[in-house]
Amino acid sequence: MLQIIIQGLLLSGLYALIAVGFTLIFSIGRVLNLAYGAYLMIGGYSYFYFSQILGLPKIAGVVIAALIGVVTGLLIYRLVVKTLKGDSVAIEIATLILAVVLQAGVVLLFGDASKILLPIIPGVVRVEGAAVTYNVLVATVASWVILISLYLFVRRTHMGRAMQAVSMDVKGAAISGIDPDRVNMVTWGISGALGAIAGVFFASYTQLYPGMWVSPLIIAVAVVIVGGIGSIIGTLIVAHVIGYMEVIVTSAIAPELRGVVTMLLIIGVLVLRPKGLFGREEL
Amino acid sequence: MNIRWYHLALWTAFIVGMFFLPQLVSKGTLRTIIFANYLAIFAISWDVLSGRTGYVSFGHPFLIGLGAYTTAILTKRFDVPVEISIPAAVLVTMVGGSLLFLPALRVRGSYFALVTLAFMELMYQLVQVIRPDLTGGTRGMSGIQTLTRGAVNGYYLSFGLIASLGFGMWLLMKTRLGTALSAIGMNEEAVRGSGLNTTKLKLAAFMLSAFVAGLGGAFYVHYLGSIAPRALFDINFVFTIIVAAILGGASTIIGPIFGAFFLTFLLEYLRPYLPGAERYFIYGGIALVLYMFEPKGLHHVLQMALSAIKGKSRS
Repeated sequence: MLQIIIQGLLLSGLYALIAVGFTLIFSIGRVLNLAYGAYLMIGGYSYFYFSQILGLPKIAGVVIAALIGVVTGLLIYRLVVKTLKGDSVAIEIATLILAVVLQAGVVLLFGDASKILLPIIPGVVRVEGAAVTYNVLVATVASWVILISLYLFVRRTHMGRAMQAVSMDVKGAAISGIDPDRVNMVTWGISGALGAIAGVFFASYTQLYPGMWVSPLIIAVAVVIVGGIGSIIGTLIVAHVIGYMEVIVTSAIAPELRGVVTMLLIIGVLVLRPKGLFGREEL
Repeated sequence: MNIRWYHLALWTAFIVGMFFLPQLVSKGTLRTIIFANYLAIFAISWDVLSGRTGYVSFGHPFLIGLGAYTTAILTKRFDVPVEISIPAAVLVTMVGGSLLFLPALRVRGSYFALVTLAFMELMYQLVQVIRPDLTGGTRGMSGIQTLTRGAVNGYYLSFGLIASLGFGMWLLMKTRLGTALSAIGMNEEAVRGSGLNTTKLKLAAFMLSAFVAGLGGAFYVHYLGSIAPRALFDINFVFTIIVAAILGGASTIIGPIFGAFFLTFLLEYLRPYLPGAERYFIYGGIALVLYMFEPKGLHHVLQMALSAIKGKSRS
C-alpha cells in the first residue's frame, strides 16, 4: 500500500513536469504543439552529449540542455507557428512532421541504438521494502520546485500576469499595452526549457532512444485532455490522477496494461466530457 | 456531376499506362510501385476523412491495422479462406470506424486528431497484451497466406485495387456527397444551417474511409505475408500517409496517388545515399517546407503551372 503511494507520487511528479510545458503553450497560444515530445528528446540527448560524452559537470549538462530547449522552442515558434498564423490544425500537422524530422536528425547525430543515461545522483534508498532510486527522488523534487516556481512566476511577476492576460483574451491584452508576440515568445521559450529538463529526467527514468518522444507526448496530451484546462494546479492534479492510475494498474492488474488505461481515459473523457473533467479555466 | 471528357481521358491514360508498365520496368521497380500503390490506397482513405471534412486523423494505422489483423488472424489461426476473411476484415474495420466516429460527434479540430492518436496507441498496446497467442504479441505474425506469387502478379493485384478504389472514390466525390463533405471541411455550422444532416454525412465519410483502409490493410497483409505491431502502429507510418496525401494535394483523388508515388520513389532513390532513418530527415524536411508554403500540395502547383502555360499561349 505504502509502496503504491510512494511509487505513484514519484511517477506523478515526473508526469506533471512533462505535461506542464505542453499545457503552458496550449493555454496561452491555443496551440497543440506536437513537437513538444521532441523537446524531451532533444533535452535528453543534449544532456547525454554534454555530461556523458564531453564530461561536463551534471548540473552544467542540465543547464545547457535547458538552453538548447529554449532555442528550439523559439525557433519552432518563429519559423513554424508564426508562419502558419494560428491555423490550429495546420500547426498540429506541421509540428508532427517536424517531430519526425527532429527524430531523424537525432538518429543522424547519435545513431539508432538506445543509450543509457547514468543516474544524475546514484544510490538507492529503501522505504518499506520499496526501492527508490535517488535519481527518481531528485526528479520528483526538481519537478515540484520547478512547478512551484513556475506558479509563482505566473502569479507574481509582471511577465506572468501578461501571460495570464494573453491566455484570457489576446485582443484585450494587446489593448492594455501587452505585446502578445513577446509573451508568446517567452512562453515558447519557457516551454522548451521545461520540456528539455523533463527530458533529462525522463530519459534517466527510462532510456535514451530516438523514438522516446512519443510516450511523453501522449502523457502530456492525456493531461491536457483529461484536465481540459491550461492551469498549473490542474496539470498537477491530473498528472497525479494519471500517475496513480498507472501505478495501481501496474501493481494490481498487469504491467502491460498501464498505457491502456491512459488511452481509455483520453477516449472516454473526450467522448463523454469533451471539455475535460475540470472545464476551462485560465492559467 | 462535373465530369469532363479530359477527366475520363486522363483516367484511361492512367489505367492503360499502368497496365503496360510491367513490360517496361524491372522487377525491383515493380515492387517499389506495389508499395506506392498500397500507400496511395491508405492516403486516399485518409484523405476521404481528413482532407475533405477537416477531421484530421492521426490514427489511421488503427483502421488499417484492424483490417490487417482481422484477416491475418482468421486465415492463419482459424484457416478461414481469404474470400471470407477479407470481407470480414473490411466489416470489422468499418465497425472500428464507427468507434472512431464517436468522439467526432463531440469534438473537432485539434482535439479530434489527438483522440485518434490515442486510438492508435491503444491498439498498439492491446495487440501485444490481449491474446498474444492469436495476434502474435510483440513479434507479430509471419507466414500469412499470400494471394499472389511474383512481382508482376502482385503488381496487377495492387494496381487493380488502386484503380478501382481510386476511380470509385473519384466518382463518389463528384456527387453531392463529395461536395457536402468538402463543405463540412470549410464550415460545418453552415452545412448544418443549410438543412443537411452533418452527423450522417460525417458517418458516411468515416465509413468510406474505414472501408478503403480495411480493404487496403487486408490486401497489404496478404501481400507482405507478415505483420508486426511496431512497424504498423508507428507514428512514422502515420507521417508517411499524411505527408503522401498532403504533398500530392489534399481533397483530390489524384493528389494522394501522386503524393504516394512521389514519396515512395523519393525514398527509394535516396536509399543509396542515405541508408536508414536519415532519409526521413531529408524528405520530412521537404514535406514540411512544402506543407508550410504550399498547403494545397503539388497537385495545386501543377494546376497553377498548367493554367499559366495556357494563359500564355492564349494571349
